[in-house]
Amino acid sequence: MILSVENFSLSYRSGAGVRHALRDVSLAIGAGEVLGLVGESGSGKSSLAWSIMRHLPRTAQESGRLRLGDVDLRGLDAAGLAAIRGRRIGMVFQDPSTALNPTLRLGEQVIEVLMRHRGLSRAEARDAAEEALREVELREPAALMRRFPHEASGGEKQRILIASAFATRPELILFDEPTTALDVITGARILELFARLRERTGVAALYISHDLALVSRVADRVAVLRQGAIVEQGSPGAVFRTPRHPYTRQLVAAVPRPDRRLVTDLPAPERVLAVQGVSVHYARRRLFRPAPPPATQPTSFSIRAGEILGVVGESGSGKSSLARALTGLARFEGRIEALDRAITHPRAMRRDYRRTVQIVFQHPDSSLNPRMRIGEILTRPLRLHGGSLGEIPRLLEEVRLPADYARKYPHQLSGGEKQRVAIARAFAANPALVICDEITAALDVSVQAQVIELLLELRRRHGTAYLFITHDINLIRQIAHRIAVMRAGEMVDLREAAQIGAADAHPYTQALIAASPAPVG
Amino acid sequence: MTDLLRRLLRTPQGAVAVAMLALILLLCLLGPELAPRDPEAIDFLGRFRPPGAENWLGADQLGRDVLSRLMVGARATVLLALLATLLGTLAGAVIGTLSAYLGGRWDEAIMRNVDAVMAIPGLLMALLLVSSLGKGSLNATLAIAIAFTPGMARVTRSVALAVRAQDYVKAALARGEGAAFIVLREMLPNVVGPMIVEATIRVAFAVMLFATLSFLGLGAQPPAPEWGLMVAEARRFVHQAPWIIIAPSVAIALTAIAFNLLGDGLRDALNPRDER
Amino acid sequence: MSASWLLRRLLLVVYTVLVVSVLVFGITQVLPADAAVTLLGENATPEALAALRLRLGLGDPLWLQYARWLGGALTGDFGLSMRTGQPVGPMMLVALSRSLLLAGLALALMLMVAIPLGLWAALRQGRAADLVTGLVSYLGVSLPEFVIATLVVMLFADRLQWLPATGYVPLTEDVADSLAHLALPVLTVSLIMVAHVSRMVRSETIDVLHSDYIRAARLKGLPGRSILLRHTLRNALLPVITIVALDVGYLLGGIIVVEEIFAIPGIGRQLIVAVTARDLPAIQAGAMIMAVTYALASTLADIAYALLDRRIRYD
Repeated sequence: MILSVENFSLSYRSGAGVRHALRDVSLAIGAGEVLGLVGESGSGKSSLAWSIMRHLPRTAQESGRLRLGDVDLRGLDAAGLAAIRGRRIGMVFQDPSTALNPTLRLGEQVIEVLMRHRGLSRAEARDAAEEALREVELREPAALMRRFPHEASGGEKQRILIASAFATRPELILFDEPTTALDVITGARILELFARLRERTGVAALYISHDLALVSRVADRVAVLRQGAIVEQGSPGAVFRTPRHPYTRQLVAAVPRPDRRLVTDLPAPERVLAVQGVSVHYARRRLFRPAPPPATQPTSFSIRAGEILGVVGESGSGKSSLARALTGLARFEGRIEALDRAITHPRAMRRDYRRTVQIVFQHPDSSLNPRMRIGEILTRPLRLHGGSLGEIPRLLEEVRLPADYARKYPHQLSGGEKQRVAIARAFAANPALVICDEITAALDVSVQAQVIELLLELRRRHGTAYLFITHDINLIRQIAHRIAVMRAGEMVDLREAAQIGAADAHPYTQALIAASPAPVG
Repeated sequence: MTDLLRRLLRTPQGAVAVAMLALILLLCLLGPELAPRDPEAIDFLGRFRPPGAENWLGADQLGRDVLSRLMVGARATVLLALLATLLGTLAGAVIGTLSAYLGGRWDEAIMRNVDAVMAIPGLLMALLLVSSLGKGSLNATLAIAIAFTPGMARVTRSVALAVRAQDYVKAALARGEGAAFIVLREMLPNVVGPMIVEATIRVAFAVMLFATLSFLGLGAQPPAPEWGLMVAEARRFVHQAPWIIIAPSVAIALTAIAFNLLGDGLRDALNPRDER
Repeated sequence: MSASWLLRRLLLVVYTVLVVSVLVFGITQVLPADAAVTLLGENATPEALAALRLRLGLGDPLWLQYARWLGGALTGDFGLSMRTGQPVGPMMLVALSRSLLLAGLALALMLMVAIPLGLWAALRQGRAADLVTGLVSYLGVSLPEFVIATLVVMLFADRLQWLPATGYVPLTEDVADSLAHLALPVLTVSLIMVAHVSRMVRSETIDVLHSDYIRAARLKGLPGRSILLRHTLRNALLPVITIVALDVGYLLGGIIVVEEIFAIPGIGRQLIVAVTARDLPAIQAGAMIMAVTYALASTLADIAYALLDRRIRYD
């Protein structure tokens, strides 16, 4: 056994009392084995990683056993710990852009690890670092080593962190959501790299993620963590196909899979909105400063009543700029046609247009005014667009929140609940089109599934069309009638959802689909 | 408001600050009535009398009771410092809000000028203004207010811009709300909190700046019992009677500390995430 | 950092100087009643006043007066002192050199004390040492310069009699005596900045210690000393440059007070003398020179920051 965790419990003491992070966790990782640990936010998966790395705050209380080979990790003193961290256990972190020191050259940050753990001289460490970067398939490692973190891409940085974790030849590597902060395609490449390195080195690993589908692809065994306790362990196929615990079943059901369509009806023939050659520029040329490239190239498409139009693309592809143009938050060129009028400037968006087109934002924390009660937040669109205040309980009920939430402040709500309030606020105006800008990106999978279900229910009831912006192509293939693909400000593809995987799709669309394979089972 | 006070009192800095400021406020309102002696009464026999039963904090070079002078002087120092901060904050808030609201080129032009004005250190600006307006308490107050304006404009603008970038303001814009609603109902309540914190801490500065101007002979004029002036007048007698220097110095320091503590306490208490 | 960024930064200094000059001229020249009356006194004959006004160009349009004054100021000619009849430009520059000595020593002393103190407090966060430093620095930022100066004199000059209380001896005359006379002023000015800067160093260091990359460095098994020296220190001290640059404003304010109290004939004291005597050319010269010094200091700090922090790309 490389790592064994036996009856391990962890809690944090604080002024408010004791919070249990892990309860009676037992798991083991054998030589060359990869154990995937899946859980939603707050499930305690990171706490387990910190416990193994012996990086716990003073308020932590533990019980149970943590062993690495024949070493009792809990009994280590400072010297013993120094012989383990980075040497026998490596770690790869979630966000490569914050895990590297911004003021040290990238090469330095690999070299110092090698000098420390392999006892190399500076010159030897430099050569070894270059070799290590070549191992993780980075081109021109010598040039990259001279750069600073802000001069490298997210994928390059994560490769460097992986290189320095592998370069000390540890027995075990902890991966803490190593692809979550990366773009879909970059993340997929990192996973491929991990598979190859694993084959070559035979290292054992604990792979932590919130994404059950992803874990089931990389791990030999999967453990599902819920509220600090492991509810199920087994092979990925078994866990996925025949989940035994109700929570695992719920989790499996919540995983977006393109083959399971959630929308079967067709949209109505009439158009609610058409976009003709709309492009967005944020800044103009100024003295001493050239104009930045446009956020989106001229783009055209239309949305029919009750249609769900998916817009996929990675961060910076211009999909949110499109949403901002349609809601008058960004100046645009070109024209938007709605309500039998053509609009060429945000100022021309009259009240009836504002009512017809509503938006829900990505971050539930910033989309509700912290100093207004929920009731007040819902009052505004009703006042503005001619609803009656008596509708507030109905609006809350429609998004499945209790009526007494009207008296609460946003900070008293969970992320999913806040997003429901934002949805209720959009529907208070009785819109024909709701723009959903990555509205589930900040939510856990199971909460995401509930929000999606809620949106579809609202659409059935009101016949609302959605412009659904997301980076998750599997999710959008479940619900959209048509899917548009954006890259670098340009709409490279726009086709029926059923045709998105066709051979004549844009190469970038194909790459996106290939990077998000359907879950096993 | 009572809710805010309750949360303020729950923070240790806030509780101490509120207690100290209650005392200072009492002195400002009732100082002359509470003072044990006439602050102007000259007593040549009692010159440099050390602290004791007769004069609790001693007597000064003219035999005047130091404690009574401190109590009466509280009004001059603290109220004028508050007034100066209030004026400076209001002027700064108007400029900062305007700049953030106009945005673009206007914003840039206004802020460039604010930055340039801030190249004149606060005390120097106050000196300049006093030199042309003339000596005196009210002119010193005005000078401090003007010296505070660019800094407050900068703070207001950055807070307002941060709030403006929030999604709830974008949601209001997308909904087609009028400018008045967006500024007054969506933005203002979220801007006011940080502004109050900043202004409170600046009161401490104003107290010190006002005392400094008086100390330099440019603020309050003798025989006013202003604290900075008291220190200035007592300096010549440091050998005979150190208490005439120490008493007003401690009074200035305690007042400044009280406002600094209040600012820190408010910062914690105004954070809506703490009330869960 | 690109050439165009540098150029823009320098243009900004020029603009700042222009704005400051308008303000200084405006406040001193426009607001007070009549320079001629100030110069000749209330009892001067109308004929003498008129003659002087003509000579000073006071009848000219305001912009012409301003342009004439600015033109002179840019070449160091701020006119003659109304008090002494001497040219104020050279007088103020000599005074500035004395003030810069005082400011430089205070800055150096402050950095030597504040940075270790702030780091120490951050590393002992929440323990007694941290709390005591915190309380003392709280007291420090709540005391005006003149109070600290008075207390310092009471302690070191009157009670202990270690150092002279006031006076100025040029460095060229007697180095030891000169430094002895500067010791208390330097101490006073630096004490307040120590209180402020050590608080900032503490909070910056705590932020860095809680950052992901420091946690990552720990978990990579790097030794504590390397984490502190290579990873923490640099990132924590970079923002301190900006803070110190802002503090130069306080430093200049503090110098005005301290020079007055310790009778050092620096620019601050000259300015107070000028303000008290309503010596307009001297006030203008002193204020302009101080503001320009401050603008240059903060520009230098900006450039230093840009050179040291590779993250920021100025384009």
